[in-house]
Formats: sequence, structure tokens, C-alpha cells
Amino acid sequence: MKHALLGLAVVVGTTIAFVSPVPGQDGAAPQGKGGGKGRGGFGRGGGRAPAEPAGPMGKLPDGHPDMQGFWTPPAITDIEPAPPRAGRGGAKAAPKAAPVNPALAATGFGGGGGGNRIIDPPDGKIPYKPEARAKQQDIVQNHMADEPELHCYQSGVPHSESNQFGLQILQTPGYFVELSEFMHTVRIIPTDNRPHIDSKIRLFQGDPVGHWEGDTLVVDTTNQNTKTWFDTSGNFKTEALHVTEKFIPQDKNTIVYEATMTDPDIYTQPWTAHWNIGRNRQTAMSDGHPYEQMEFGCIEGNTDLEHYTEDKGGKKPLVVGKKAN
Amino acid sequence: MRNRLFGFAIAAAVALCLASGPAEAQSKGQAFTASKTWNNQPDLQGIWQPAKAVDNLEKGGFIKDPSNGKIPYAADGAAKRAENAKNAKSADLVNRCNMPGTPRLMYMGYPFQIFQTDKYVAIVSEYSHTYRMVYLDGSPHLDFPGTWMGDSRGHWDGDSLATDVINFNDQTWLDKAGNHHSDELEVKERFTRTGPKTLLYEATLHDPKTFSKDWTIRVPMGLKTGPTARLMEHECQDLAFGK
Repeated sequence: MKHALLGLAVVVGTTIAFVSPVPGQDGAAPQGKGGGKGRGGFGRGGGRAPAEPAGPMGKLPDGHPDMQGFWTPPAITDIEPAPPRAGRGGAKAAPKAAPVNPALAATGFGGGGGGNRIIDPPDGKIPYKPEARAKQQDIVQNHMADEPELHCYQSGVPHSESNQFGLQILQTPGYFVELSEFMHTVRIIPTDNRPHIDSKIRLFQGDPVGHWEGDTLVVDTTNQNTKTWFDTSGNFKTEALHVTEKFIPQDKNTIVYEATMTDPDIYTQPWTAHWNIGRNRQTAMSDGHPYEQMEFGCIEGNTDLEHYTEDKGGKKPLVVGKKAN
Repeated sequence: MRNRLFGFAIAAAVALCLASGPAEAQSKGQAFTASKTWNNQPDLQGIWQPAKAVDNLEKGGFIKDPSNGKIPYAADGAAKRAENAKNAKSADLVNRCNMPGTPRLMYMGYPFQIFQTDKYVAIVSEYSHTYRMVYLDGSPHLDFPGTWMGDSRGHWDGDSLATDVINFNDQTWLDKAGNHHSDELEVKERFTRTGPKTLLYEATLHDPKTFSKDWTIRVPMGLKTGPTARLMEHECQDLAFGK
């Protein structure tokens, strides 16, 4: 199994369209499945079925919760519920459609992970102003070449907490660090509540500033650019976006993640999305080697960097199932 | 080198407090004892950067051994270096935002931040958010050749972090001057605190396919300090290929 997995990490470098633009196909992931077959699986889609009762999260010498380790967030391809949408291949997609890419699904990563993530407003939809919803629809119809992961970009916030392949958390005095396997995405979150950087500076990952409220890590993320999405379904951002995140240690194997988005330019009200980040329960690879994240050579194998532009043929909407493999 | 200059510009704009020059603090004789982490390891944590980018290892006294400061290429290694240098624009894959390999990541000029826990040392570079994980858990190397950054296993040797890095491909260079290696490269590194704001980076390169003997690089690093010190973001392919 190990070699197959290693191979996957490499293959991803050359198969850049692996899961990305497949709106409308994200059925709920199986609960607690995949532990013996691939890398993780636990926690996908909620992690509500641990094999045994998990104790509380441990503590660090500074008294804060010890959330270190390998985690498998759900791979969210559409942060909104996925009703069929014309022209998106959604008409044929049942609510619990097959995983996006069978090869990825076999690893326990990348398949499914959608469903209703938005807990406020109660209808589960992003409260776009009408013109903003029209823009999102236009992106889906006509501008999927801008899908950020096709360009091997970092995922932005909160999508860094729901991209594929999992992440590792390290904690040191004053820092909460997330290292994702996907595109070696990094979030270095200082926990000292420092002031934000100058608002003129715009970053893919934004400027995260954290502080502890009891056992909850609260992170205020600003300064994002407009090149990342909330998912792979055209849910875009403006520079006015302000994200307030909460990492709530529910038990040893579960972090409840919550993100509230405020942007009066395009939303009629703030909205909150919520999902569980489950601990990766695969502690070893098949040869007994301790579990590790692999090198992710996205850009190294991406020969299409110059081609994913609209004037080079990228304008045509990507068709579900045609780009994978 | 538009990308790198851009990265520097951002770094300079935001990280206001660059440490004093690293060379200054290679103080004479007196060994510096690093403070200890939660796990009682020598504390190497912080944001480090060479005084300036090492673009050519043979210029600037960065080669400690051999004493002539030259890379001991075997056979036609020097000719290949010259050929590389001629074609650097296309042949140096850093110009395509690829991962730069080890040891180049450490001295190519971008700051990097070290995080330590009991089993892991993460070395996170600003360059294209490339990170290395050094495993301290005693695990063996993976049987998986051909990676860009290599497979780093480490241990503490006194107050130094010592690493052993293998499983490279042969596509990365050692600097902008076209200095190169094969996929048989093995790098042994040492990270040692030498003062309150200084760290010495050393790397010994073993690659019998390319070099006639092992040789050693030494690059002093300075600490970025102050409440505003942080790694900035270098989204290389956006700078190079974005619209």
C-alpha cells in the first residue's frame, strides 16, 4: 500500500485536475470508513463514529490543548448544499453521488466531503447579494480555468481546513502551525493576538492572528487576496473578507472547526460554516514505517501553468469526469 | 530573478527587524549554549536568514572544505556546471518555481522558520512555502527515491541538530551558478546556535557520481526578531505565471 500511496503523491503532480472542479457531486463521505484501506478515513464527513470512545485532548506544558498530529479534514468541493445546477453536471448527480475520483477515494482522501456545511443562515446557503450570486454562477459556467487548485495555489482560508490529503499540526510556544500535504500549504498562526499586517498586503493564506479562549483557539484571518475560493465551486472572495475561525477540541480525535465569514460587499449577512476535523487514525504505513506526509510536487509536474488561461482554451467549462485520470 | 526580488521586497516591507549581521556573532571561541525547548532540546526556533543570498557557492567563502573553496567535481562536473550556467534561465528549475532541493533552500536567500516538537523539526521556508520535515523519531529513511527536497532524518548531536538527507532527484541545483549533483546525493547537515541571534548552517555533500570527495558548505544565519517578524508569502507561480 505504501508504494501505491507514494505513487499517488507523485502522480498528483502530473494530474492537476484531480478532483477540483466537480461541483454537485459531493455526497456525504462514509462515516468511519477506510481505516484499513488507505490513509485515514476517520473524521471524514464528521468523524462521528470513532471505533472507541476518545478521551479528552491532551495538554501542552503551557496548559493549552495539544492538537498536534495528523488530521484528515473533509475535502470540500462545494461548501453549499449541492442541489442540481444547470450546466454543472449536477442534474444527473444524486445527493449521494459516487466519489469524485475512484483512485483518490480508494486512499480515503478526496472523495466526497460536501454536503451542508453552512449552519448559519439556516438554509445552508451563502447569503450572497444577487449580483454576487450571479458572479459565482458565471464563474462556474465560464471561468473554471480560474479554479485556484488547478494553478497549484495555496487554498486560502477556510479552504485550507478542508482541502485534500490531510494536514499535520505542530504547536510550539506562541504558534499553532498547520502543514498540509496539498501543495505544501502552510499556515503559521501566532497565538499572541498580535496586530494584523498592513491592509495593503494581500496574501493567498491571509494574515491569521490567534488567541486562546479557554480551550478554543480563535483565529482572526484578514488580508486575503481574491484568488482563492471557499471550495472548488466558484465561491469567490473579495478583499473585504474577514474570517473568524474557531478550533474547538471536542475530544482527542476530533477538532470542531467553525468559520464565520463577514463581507458586507457581497453578503447580506455574516455566515458560518462548520465541520469536524478528525484525527488520521492511520499511525503507520503498510511496512510499519510511522505515518508521514509525503512530498507534494504540484507545480513540478504541472506543465499547464501557461495554458490554464481563458485565451488558451480554458474558457470552456470543465466537464465532470473528463479531466480526472 | 523577478520572483525572488519580489519576495524580498515584501519581506523587507513587513519584517522590519532584521537581526544584526550574522557574521558578527560568530564570536571567538566562546561556545554559546542554546536555551532549551519544552522537550529539553536545544532551541533553534526562530526566523533565520543568511545575510545575503548565496548565488554561487564558490564565491564568498562558503565552502569550508576543501580549503581552496572549490567544489571537488569529478570528471566533467565543472564542464556541466558551465553548461548549466549558460542555460540557467530555462535549466534552473527554480525559475519555474520548482522546489529548490536541499541544501539550496536554506541559503538561497529566503527566510525560514524552525518549529520543534519532540519528534519533528519543521523547517518552513518563505520560498514557495516549501517546508522540510526532519524526523527525530528514529525512523529509517523511506524507500522512495527521486524527491525534490530529500528525506530528512535527524538527531541531536550535543547542541546541534544533525540530519541525514537522501532520496533526491538529479534535477535540482545547488545554486544559481549551475552547481549540480546526481540522485546519489547524500547531505549531512548541522544546525548549531552560535549566539543569541545567530545560527550556523553546515552541510556536507557526498555524491561519488559527481564529486571526487565529500565537501562542506558553511553559511551563517541571522535571526529576525521583534514583534513584527514573520515569514511573508511567496506564491511563486502566481508571480511568474499568474495574470
